[in-house]
Amino acid sequence: MERQGNSPADDIPLTLIVEGTHGPVIHATNRTARTMGVQIGARVVDMRAICPELQTEYADREGDKAALERLVLWARRWCPWTASDGADGLILDTTGSAHLFGGEDAMLIEMETQFSLLGLTSRLAIAPTQGAAWALARFGTVRSICTEGEIAQRLSPLSVSGLRLSAETVQLLHRLGLKTIGALMNVPRLSLARRFVKAALTANPLVRLDQALGKLAEPVASVEAKPRFSAQSRLPEPIFDPAPYLPQLCDNLCDALQNAGMGCRYLNLTVYRTDGDVSHIDVATAASTRDPVHLHSLFRDKLERINSGFGFDLITLTAGGVEAIQIVQTQLDGEAHSDLQLTQLLDRLTAKFGPRSVSYPVVYESHVPERAQRRISNFGAPPPQTAELIKERPIRLLDIPEEVHVLYAVPEGPPAQFIWRRKTHRVTRYAGPERIAPEWWKDRPGTRLRDYFKIEDQTGRRIWLYREGLHEDGRGGDPRWFIHGMFA
Amino acid sequence: MPQNDYQHEKRTIEDEEGFIKNPPSPFVELGISTCFSFLRGASDAVDLAVTANALGYDKLGCADLNTMAGVVRLHAEARKAQVTPVIGCRLQLVTGETFLAYPRNRAAYGRLCALLSKGKMQMTDGAWQAKGACDITLDDLASHSQDVQLIVIPNENIDHFSAGLPRLQRALPSMKYIAASYLYRGNDRARINHLDQIARANGLSILATNDVQYHAPERRPLQDVMTCILHKTTIHRAGFLLQANAERHLKSPAQMETLFAQWPHALRATREVADACHFDLRELSYEYPKETVPHGRTAQEHLEKQTWDGARWRYPEGVPTTVTATLHKELALIAKLDIAQYFLTIQNIVNFARYKCKPPILCQGRGSAANSAVCYVLGITAVDPATNDMLFERFISEERKEPPDIDVDFEHERREEVIQHIYDTYGRNRAALCATVIHYRPRMAVREVGKIMGLSEDITSALSKTIWGSWGREVGAREAKQAGLDLSDPLLARTIKIADQMIGMPRHLGQHVGGFILTESPLSHTVPIGNGAMPDRSFIEWDKDDIEELRILKVDVLALGMLTCIRKAFDLIKAYHGREVTLATIKQDDEAVYDMLCKGDSLGVFQVESRAQMNMLPRLKPREFYDLVIQVAIVRPGPIQGDMVHPYLRRRSGKEPEEYPSPAAPHDPDELKKVLHRTKGVPIFQEQAMKVAMVAAEFSPDEANQLRKAMATFRSRGTIGALEEKMVGRMIRRGYDPDFANRCFHQIKGFGDYGFPESHAASFAHLVYVSSWIKCHYPDVFCTALLNSQPMGFYAPAQIVRDAREHGVTVHPPDVNYSDWDNTLEPLSIGKSKSTFAVRLGLRQIDGMRQDMAHRIMQARHMPFTDLLDIKKRAHLDAGTIRKLAAADALRSMQLDRRQALWDARALQDAPDLPLFQDKPDEGGEVQFTLPQMPLCEHVVADYQTTRLSLKAHPMAFLRKSMTKQGYTTTKSLDHMRNGQRVKLAGIVLIRQRPGSAKGVCFITVEDELGVANLVIWPKMMEAFRKVIMNARVIDVTGIVQRADGVIHLVAHHLEDRSDALDRLSDDTIVTTLAHADEIKKALPSPPHGHPRDACVIPKSRDFH
Repeated sequence: MERQGNSPADDIPLTLIVEGTHGPVIHATNRTARTMGVQIGARVVDMRAICPELQTEYADREGDKAALERLVLWARRWCPWTASDGADGLILDTTGSAHLFGGEDAMLIEMETQFSLLGLTSRLAIAPTQGAAWALARFGTVRSICTEGEIAQRLSPLSVSGLRLSAETVQLLHRLGLKTIGALMNVPRLSLARRFVKAALTANPLVRLDQALGKLAEPVASVEAKPRFSAQSRLPEPIFDPAPYLPQLCDNLCDALQNAGMGCRYLNLTVYRTDGDVSHIDVATAASTRDPVHLHSLFRDKLERINSGFGFDLITLTAGGVEAIQIVQTQLDGEAHSDLQLTQLLDRLTAKFGPRSVSYPVVYESHVPERAQRRISNFGAPPPQTAELIKERPIRLLDIPEEVHVLYAVPEGPPAQFIWRRKTHRVTRYAGPERIAPEWWKDRPGTRLRDYFKIEDQTGRRIWLYREGLHEDGRGGDPRWFIHGMFA
Repeated sequence: MPQNDYQHEKRTIEDEEGFIKNPPSPFVELGISTCFSFLRGASDAVDLAVTANALGYDKLGCADLNTMAGVVRLHAEARKAQVTPVIGCRLQLVTGETFLAYPRNRAAYGRLCALLSKGKMQMTDGAWQAKGACDITLDDLASHSQDVQLIVIPNENIDHFSAGLPRLQRALPSMKYIAASYLYRGNDRARINHLDQIARANGLSILATNDVQYHAPERRPLQDVMTCILHKTTIHRAGFLLQANAERHLKSPAQMETLFAQWPHALRATREVADACHFDLRELSYEYPKETVPHGRTAQEHLEKQTWDGARWRYPEGVPTTVTATLHKELALIAKLDIAQYFLTIQNIVNFARYKCKPPILCQGRGSAANSAVCYVLGITAVDPATNDMLFERFISEERKEPPDIDVDFEHERREEVIQHIYDTYGRNRAALCATVIHYRPRMAVREVGKIMGLSEDITSALSKTIWGSWGREVGAREAKQAGLDLSDPLLARTIKIADQMIGMPRHLGQHVGGFILTESPLSHTVPIGNGAMPDRSFIEWDKDDIEELRILKVDVLALGMLTCIRKAFDLIKAYHGREVTLATIKQDDEAVYDMLCKGDSLGVFQVESRAQMNMLPRLKPREFYDLVIQVAIVRPGPIQGDMVHPYLRRRSGKEPEEYPSPAAPHDPDELKKVLHRTKGVPIFQEQAMKVAMVAAEFSPDEANQLRKAMATFRSRGTIGALEEKMVGRMIRRGYDPDFANRCFHQIKGFGDYGFPESHAASFAHLVYVSSWIKCHYPDVFCTALLNSQPMGFYAPAQIVRDAREHGVTVHPPDVNYSDWDNTLEPLSIGKSKSTFAVRLGLRQIDGMRQDMAHRIMQARHMPFTDLLDIKKRAHLDAGTIRKLAAADALRSMQLDRRQALWDARALQDAPDLPLFQDKPDEGGEVQFTLPQMPLCEHVVADYQTTRLSLKAHPMAFLRKSMTKQGYTTTKSLDHMRNGQRVKLAGIVLIRQRPGSAKGVCFITVEDELGVANLVIWPKMMEAFRKVIMNARVIDVTGIVQRADGVIHLVAHHLEDRSDALDRLSDDTIVTTLAHADEIKKALPSPPHGHPRDACVIPKSRDFH
């Protein structure tokens, strides 16, 4: 499956790669790469030798799998029963639904068109059994349609590779001279059974043949689509303000969530204007919730942003990030948990001032004091693992250190006396120096190191100050002193 | 030596003058981690020693974490820099306590080594220790701590430390100090005071150290990067793993005095410890095992007796007088240097292999040892001094002051027996392999640093790609620019700078290929011994340079595939042809052998089987043994790049006169002739290059030795420039033509590492001759032995078998009723063949066949197997094995062809039948069903798939009819083509090569059913047809025939990939076997780089499914 969107030009040999045991291997290629001799399964270094301009990109196999799962549901437009097959196949049970699309021929053309609109190349076949359809789609003619009675006849000329067998088994059959499905069908059943009776499914041509011919049932489970939680109100005539309808919508949605034992993390409000325009409002919550009042409150002040134009006649409210929640009663009096109030407050603040305005600090591992803290505004995410501070740091850190004049013993002595904010402080005790060098990978060259001292002055005030630079460190003149924080 | 190609040039202090010894300093730094505390120290011995001298130290400690690996280097460099090394180490117990340990004397040092050896060889519970780990417990340390001065390093939490201190004190009476450091961490004063209190309370003293990790503050970035590598993180995520400042560098005694002004006793303590260490690494007097000398005799007497005994054995008709004289001379020198036991030890090992092993193991000395007549008569080497001119000085010389180096090759399949014998005889505590220090090379350094710095994979690989050839010491900034990398980008510039510092740092210890150290007293008291990654291997922590530095001798126990092959051939000749031959008894003057070699018919022969050698043979036309010596030495990158091949060939064929430039009047006009007359005036061997310098430019032996070293490391452009001036200048002064002098020097320069010394070439030539002799007289034996020794050599089994058949040998396919596991000979009734035996391919040729299964078959075969059930029951085979045999068509003697056999084999089940159905299968009787006949071409394809060769037909034969119609010629008819004729030809690709010495020309060998053809592809064609060349399994070539001296090449003008033709033979993909030497898997576009070992690892086949 190739990615769509911003794909490079067709004449660039592009491959998707995955990590193999001996370095990356080719997972998929585009046509240009294929014609240049790049082979799937080969190592990238080898293929680079053949085609030096090869572009590589890591394959997203998880993503491909997820996309296929979505495609399974998407394909429900043609029939109610669909399932995925391997890494690149779909199985549709179209029994009884073909006539809705004008017959099987028309349906296949319709499918091919729809897939191509998604940017996907498809090979389609209809057959009474899954095995036969598999073979025909891969080895048969374009858009093969096979009816009940002609399976054997249609499969006969195809290679035994069409039976979903492993490569070794196919090789064995070739060596035995049984190269087509037809040749295999001519072998006495007993002989085959004797030889392959205990073999695994992909190494068992007899079972595979029976499955393809419909002699053996091959049940496949279809996946259940996740229910969508959505509430809507259709209005008899266009209105301009959705606010009156919102509480009802929230109630309905939360009822549905409640019945399913679910909560949601996002809400999407969509209004459909009479002139065909659509506008959206999204809100998010810090924790899963299904509290209609709270959800409703998040939309406050946001509805005004809707440009109602000539009015709208349909409003839908859809829940996203749906997950199971359990309401836990933590207090005997049935009061809600205080944490809940906090998260609700955060939601309201975030909704009001925007996600960037509300944040909280976490420790960041850096020796440089002003970098030792970061702010995180994503409340929903689990808090990152924070390190412990290994050194004592002042309670208050000045955003901008204030330069002071200090008396000290040159070159490296501790501060003895300094004037700060027009007041003279005499140092009665000190601890230090703690030397913090610039982070060489981050700071500009020429940044000077700092010697931090914890001091206590005559009044018992505890101050954190540092000397920037050393005498003759070759990075500017004499060292300067700064106050950086207060301990109490 | 070719093995040393990947050795990194060791950094060392070049200029020893200019260092003045400092007066005793008040402080001695003892807590130094060098770069051998892998990833925990960022400076090497050179930097530390030079900095220490400059800062005013007179002594310097060395304390690497649980290792002594770096002490020899520090010892050597510190002595050069006029600093006295104090040898010790840093011990970390399994429980976490850390100590600095400094032995007072030799005995205490021995105990420390024994302690480390114990930790490295056994886990605390006595199990086999994993490589690289070292487990020491407090009890271990206590029992080895006598006379070892221990300094405990407190951990972060002082309260924990002081609580545990009494326990340590009870166990370790020699622990007298607590280490204290002033590292600008904010609480230093309080901490040191606290430690001081604790020390006083416990009757100890604090000892100042700066816990040094690098020699100068500028090294902090490298240290941080190494920390990140150690913790597998990046610089941006490392956080508190990194130090806050750059204070852990080597500080001057004066600086330390300022920092520890309040605690002068902490400084005095360092002086006390350092002055109490009287141990010097040079004390490690080395003794060879005494077992080799019988009682009541000295080693020298015994060696002399052995030598003269050996001389009588080597020369039954009487020892030639020249040899007697040489022996006397050599023995005198050996006595003078007192190394007789070394020779006896090696003789002992060789004798074990030759006489005590059942069956004996073939072995032969190689390298410079072949220059010694003593080695010859002792049976260590095989080059006869009576017929060959030897340069004993190349082996041992008084001036070189280096120990001799004896390398011995053993059969590659059985070298392990010799190694284990050495371990068993001398014990694991007296014998061990050397280490090889693996250094960061430029690519590796750039890649690692780039990863740490957070560069993307793309940029790092682009950056590392710009380094051409990974031996250069500096990351090529210029090339980076060419690759479109912006070096003014600070991140990139920083990465390169750090990578540059990292190049040459040791990365880990590997195991030397076969260098053994043997001692009389336990080796573990001389150097720590650790376990190797391979089972049953242990090796010491020092590499060969360290051993050389300390004058310890080693013996190289190497493996050579051809010896295995020759031994197997000798056994077969004895068993089937009734003739007993040994390496020594084959006469070197057999005309037929030389005739064969002159035709270039040397497939499978040792050394001369490569395409280049095969092409050289008809030109050089070897007629005597010495020609083979030249043949071996001349097709090497050294002589080729030095442009010595063509002059030699011209002179040999008489097209050009032999001439020897002469110096001006007062000097001997024939001086060069004496050196070069054996090679017709062209220097071909390494010694000759040295000799020319010594004779024509009057180099002293010492200067010549410098030149040899400079040659070996010429790429680093160290001293070679100065030597060039010296040599050329002196030659001109002595009256040589300036032009000649310059040419002479450039030839020598071209040698680099890639020339052979004459003695080495002679040893190899001997094997060339022996293998040619076998091939010439017993082609059947040769083919069998060669197949049984696989994988080795240049060619795949398919080509070996094909060559044998072309020499009239009948080859039978593998068959359960006839084949053993090995390939064998079987008598031939019909006398149509030249030889009376046919080769029966063994079951080992079948892919996936297991040896134990083959042995079951062989044991159960007292009467022929009649059907599948019979073989399954009697040989107790599983169904899978039988299916493999069936697929390989090895059941024909039961009247089952491949298809029928496969069909029947499918019906066999592994599980025993239930008693009820024992007589009849539970599915009922078999229904008769005839499978379609398998066409021959499908058989051939399946043969290739299962045994990688087919005796039935060649795949190209099926295409011949249509190809003839289209006007394709065969490789056979090339022989009759005239020079310059245009031909069309197609064949299966065997080998693709682009030798470094061929300036971008690519050579392809293709094969069809009649023979092989060599294609020459010029660089322009290479660019145009690169895809075809890299990809094709069948290549269709149009080109011009080029012939010279009986060598035919096809110069390609147009190439086409016709692999599709091969696919049409069968629905399956045919697996064509490429020869071992194919280079396709290396990226062809750039000149060969990377590890030379990697360069020859080519997959035996390429599977496209």
